[in-house]
Amino acid sequence: MSRLKDLQKNLFGGTTSNARQFGMIFTLVAIVLIFQVWTNGLTLRSDNLIALFQQNSYILILAIGMLMVIVAGHIDLSVGSVAAFAGILVAKSMTEWDLPWPVAILFGLAIGAIIGAWQGFWVAYVGVPAFIVTLAGMLLFRGGNQFIGNANTIPVPEGFREIGSGFLPEFGPNTGYNNATLLLGLAAAVAVVWRELRARNTRRAMDADPAPMWVSILRMAIMVGVIAFATLRFASGRVGTSFPISGIILLVLVIAYSFYTRNTAGGRHIYAVGGNSRAAELSGVKLKRVNFFVMMNMSVLAALAGMIFVARSAASGPQDGNGWELDAIAAVFIGGAAVAGGIGTISGSIVGGLVMAVLNNGLQLEGVGTDKVQIIKGLVLLLAVAIDVYNKSQGRFSIIGSLMRPFRRDDPAAPVSPPDAEREPAKAAVSG
Amino acid sequence: MRKFFGTSVVAISAAAMLALAGCGSGRDGDSGSSGEAAKGFAANSLIGVALPAKTSENWVLAGDLFTNGLKEAGFQGDVQYAGASTTVADQQAQITAMVTKGAKVIVIGATDAAQLSTQVAAAHAAGVKVIAYDRLITNTPDLDYYVAFDNFKVGQLQGQALLDGMKAKKPNGPYNIELFSGSPDDNNAGVFFDGAMSVLKPAIDKGDVVVASGQKDVKQTAIQGWKAEGAQARMDQLLTSTYGSKELDGVLSPNDTLARAILTSVKGAGKPTPIVTGQDSEVESVKSIVAGEQYMTINKDTRNLVKETINMVKALQAGNTPQVNDTKSYNNGSKVVDTFLLPPVAVTKANAAEAYANDPKLAPLTK
Amino acid sequence: MSDVPILLEMRSITKEFPGVKALSDVNLVVRAGEIHAICGENGAGKSTLMKVLSGVYPHGSYSGQIVYQGSESKFSDIRASESAGIVIIHQELALIPGMSIAENIFLGNEPRKRGAIDWKAANRMALDLMARVGLQEDPDTLIKDIGVGKQQLVEIAKAFAKDVKLLILDEPTAALNEADSRHLLDLLRGFRSRGITSIMISHKLNEIEAIADQITILRDGRTVETLDVKADGVDEDRIVRGMVGRELSSRFPDHTPKIGDVFFEVRNWNVRHPISADRQVCKNESFVVRRGEIVGFAGLMGAGRTELAMSVFGRSYGVYESGTIIKDGKEIVLKSVADAIDNGLAYVSEDRKAIGLNLLDDIKTSTVAAKLSKIRHHGVLNEVEEYQAAEAYRKELRTKAPTVDEGVSKLSGGNQQKVVLAKWMFTDPDLLILDEPTRGIDVGAKYEIYGIIQRLADQGKGVVVISSELPELIGLCDRIYTVFEGAITGEIARADATPENLMKQMTSTKKMATR
Repeated sequence: MSRLKDLQKNLFGGTTSNARQFGMIFTLVAIVLIFQVWTNGLTLRSDNLIALFQQNSYILILAIGMLMVIVAGHIDLSVGSVAAFAGILVAKSMTEWDLPWPVAILFGLAIGAIIGAWQGFWVAYVGVPAFIVTLAGMLLFRGGNQFIGNANTIPVPEGFREIGSGFLPEFGPNTGYNNATLLLGLAAAVAVVWRELRARNTRRAMDADPAPMWVSILRMAIMVGVIAFATLRFASGRVGTSFPISGIILLVLVIAYSFYTRNTAGGRHIYAVGGNSRAAELSGVKLKRVNFFVMMNMSVLAALAGMIFVARSAASGPQDGNGWELDAIAAVFIGGAAVAGGIGTISGSIVGGLVMAVLNNGLQLEGVGTDKVQIIKGLVLLLAVAIDVYNKSQGRFSIIGSLMRPFRRDDPAAPVSPPDAEREPAKAAVSG
Repeated sequence: MRKFFGTSVVAISAAAMLALAGCGSGRDGDSGSSGEAAKGFAANSLIGVALPAKTSENWVLAGDLFTNGLKEAGFQGDVQYAGASTTVADQQAQITAMVTKGAKVIVIGATDAAQLSTQVAAAHAAGVKVIAYDRLITNTPDLDYYVAFDNFKVGQLQGQALLDGMKAKKPNGPYNIELFSGSPDDNNAGVFFDGAMSVLKPAIDKGDVVVASGQKDVKQTAIQGWKAEGAQARMDQLLTSTYGSKELDGVLSPNDTLARAILTSVKGAGKPTPIVTGQDSEVESVKSIVAGEQYMTINKDTRNLVKETINMVKALQAGNTPQVNDTKSYNNGSKVVDTFLLPPVAVTKANAAEAYANDPKLAPLTK
Repeated sequence: MSDVPILLEMRSITKEFPGVKALSDVNLVVRAGEIHAICGENGAGKSTLMKVLSGVYPHGSYSGQIVYQGSESKFSDIRASESAGIVIIHQELALIPGMSIAENIFLGNEPRKRGAIDWKAANRMALDLMARVGLQEDPDTLIKDIGVGKQQLVEIAKAFAKDVKLLILDEPTAALNEADSRHLLDLLRGFRSRGITSIMISHKLNEIEAIADQITILRDGRTVETLDVKADGVDEDRIVRGMVGRELSSRFPDHTPKIGDVFFEVRNWNVRHPISADRQVCKNESFVVRRGEIVGFAGLMGAGRTELAMSVFGRSYGVYESGTIIKDGKEIVLKSVADAIDNGLAYVSEDRKAIGLNLLDDIKTSTVAAKLSKIRHHGVLNEVEEYQAAEAYRKELRTKAPTVDEGVSKLSGGNQQKVVLAKWMFTDPDLLILDEPTRGIDVGAKYEIYGIIQRLADQGKGVVVISSELPELIGLCDRIYTVFEGAITGEIARADATPENLMKQMTSTKKMATR
């Protein structure tokens, strides 16, 4: 085997199944590069990257919750309305009832939890399909928003705006960069290296040979390189801007929920319920509790997303949250989740959401009107899922759909590839 | 092993980070935030125009005028509309993109005037001049100029026309009227209403004019999103509840779209046509006025408004201070914004031909 | 026989899927008017061959020739093969439950009069077709209101509506009880006498022996041999030898039971139907299980064995009414499946794919699914322990899969069943309830599963086996309960168990203990 082929195999996995997981990331990278060239370098300029994160953090936060809802086999159409409802109440709580803003945030999350409990109750304990419950919720909470706000726009105080439009602080010596962002990047780089080395140990514990050391080093170098690039971009924005606070909130949620869905029993149960609810029930999974949890969790995240948007807009308005549910659902499906449930990952959904976000941003930078942007986004959603469905039906590799498994089960930093000799050719499901 | 593990992790990552960090920084200090307009900028610079969704002909016309006008003036124009459903978020993203692209001036026709302060602040920080077009952006100290028709005056004209029209039709009162106002998230809606009420209030207090339904508060009269179906539904409901036997003499409508919806509702109920006011000189309404249905509209010639806005941009380009005529009235909650106000003109059937003589689209309708 | 004209000849059919050769150089000769059985283990290529024949895999996607009625046929899809008179009836019936018998029979093939469906004619023709398959029902009856046996007949009537010349049946009796199976086989004989040719795929060797004229055996995607049942004097053992390529000395591993004391007991168990509350599905049933003992539950389909098992397993079926469960001398109350698992019960369900496994999972995830707490430390699942557990069971049960990362949907039925067994063995149960543990599993794998069941019993666990195959119960169990219409009607020790004996008690309410 040639050196080059060896490299490819070790980096991306030799078998098709391991190569797949990179499909969507490649798509994202390709879109970024295309726009980078098309917009003469605007796409990856630091101010644009910062704006991209700020503008989309709330949609990506919704996508996290939506992924879990969809994996469990449901859907939530009410997220936009719930976000608007929580947003207006939080805004009122600060301007009219003079709640300090940190308390108002907790108040907003509590509203989300109460709404979630309401919707979860109908879905899990009464058995009304989530589509209906959340369609009702969509009307209910949109109306609630207008009712409470009199369809007015209510401004929010400065401190609260930080969660939507704030940045990491400036401190320390003048390095020419934002020091806080540099530290964050360093932490991320350490985490990536630590993960890779730990994954090698895990592979050893599973009686499998880890990839050669030089491969690990190369892989670490690539990842650290990407992180360093991003860090420097974010750290070198105009003074006063750096990595956005909403981006930090998103990052924390992505890490926490990825861990939850992959490494805890609760997360496994969501996949089990979506994959085969009867089998899950007969394996001791408490079906109602899982369904209640995913619906409730979604509304809490929707409330958070609503608050972040209000903070960024400096006011809560009657049009907040319009169409968010569709953006979040699109992100999840572009990210490879299955309509029937049971399949999907947080990271996939985030990548799916970023594909949409970069597309949106790039087209806007090019001055393409919203009408055409919507047409293009619609076609991208349809195409992404259609290609996936087609590939699955052909028994060929499904670019996005099967990303899931590696993302979900294995360590994405360590594609598992035992030597080919040990692998029987994967048998297609041929029943006789 | 453990110890080595930990040390190597930190060492490897730190080394990599430092290596890259050493490549140098291109951080552009606090450029532009001081906003030295006096210097002006290149004549072929990018000028951004962010407008609301294409829900009325006025915005479509304004967009076309900006595109052509900026081109003629030698600028690169970037005219964007918000999407039909995701309006606010779209507009926020568009403004940010314009800043990124290096626009020198951004003209904003806000969808929700209270939800753009973050973007306006970012634009200001990047040294971009922001002009609020037609709708005053609130709660931001970073807005530079405001161009609009005198909206209080618009309301006054509407109120006066309503009184005149009713008097011409029926010499003696009392007159039964109903009040409508625009979308509560549009800062102008309240101004129109206040202007109209400044004329109507004395008549109402005297008892010459009666709001038969009793709905006089702006919360009751507002039509969310300036939606025609909202106005029609409210009128339907008013006719049923209040005008079973009474006669409706006049309706204060803030604009043409709502005026036509109100007329549709009245016609549907089989009632005689009341005096209905309007605004914007939309094609259908001008036809309606000529046909004797809608009583009046306001001609706020969008051409003039766009022309004045582009004049401001030109002044900024040359490094001059743009001309303004009101530096006291428009407080957006954070500061008093320098404003250029254009006078509106009331148009009825009587003066339609004269008022639209220069308008290629409307002039033929009046003949 | 050779003077009978050949109806169908498939010549050196080769069909490849990415990475796998499903069929290589397969030949099949079917003569007009015969019943031709195709045998082979799961994965031998039987279904693939039939899909090639019926145009599911269109011409061009395989190599080789199909000669049908004397000329080469190149079917582009199922419609093409159906219009040539080849109709395939799949194992999973393709009927729409909410539609009537007549509607189903003519679905996609509706008799029309001036553009509208002529229901009068449809019902008349349906009655005629139903008579031909011996189905006595109102054609307006909905499919969901008739049993599986009758549904199967509707499928065949549907085939007749398409003017069938060659009828292909894939596992036609898999879901049928003895009586319905017999009726179906009689029907096939009747077709033969009327000159209709049938191809039948079946795992039930006794049926094949009883009905087939010719048997073609496939193994690993190749034709092994074609046997003439009468001329070659074929019996079951002969077929098995062809299928597995070796002689199976016995269908059950040798085993000496080590039976201990009673440790599990169910007393006076009463359960009602989940929807129609007036229907009692468990009528005062009581049974005991000893340590190291394999206890069988025999009964006809619908006798209420699964209902009994599932209601005991954490009330996962029906509405509990009364009854007690005693384990190790203490009464236990199992209100949920989680309770049942915590108390050392395990239930391996009848229908692996529908309720036993999450087909989206891989082997290791499935293995630990019912007892995640075993690999959880401080709330975090340990992937290494998960891997090790799954790998240990893969080796112990000899599950055929390249790694435990393999998706369970890619495994054959026998290997899927091993994964389900591993999943429940992982919960360290004291009592395992196995519902139809060998359904749809081929001969070789069955033998292995029997061995696993015996090993589990030898470890001191109690094992309950529910099966519709009497020879299986007789060969495997130390003691057998018979169930009829929701009540236990008998208890038969191994020594006394004969098919006749069991059948008698499975079909009568009279209790005759022969302990």
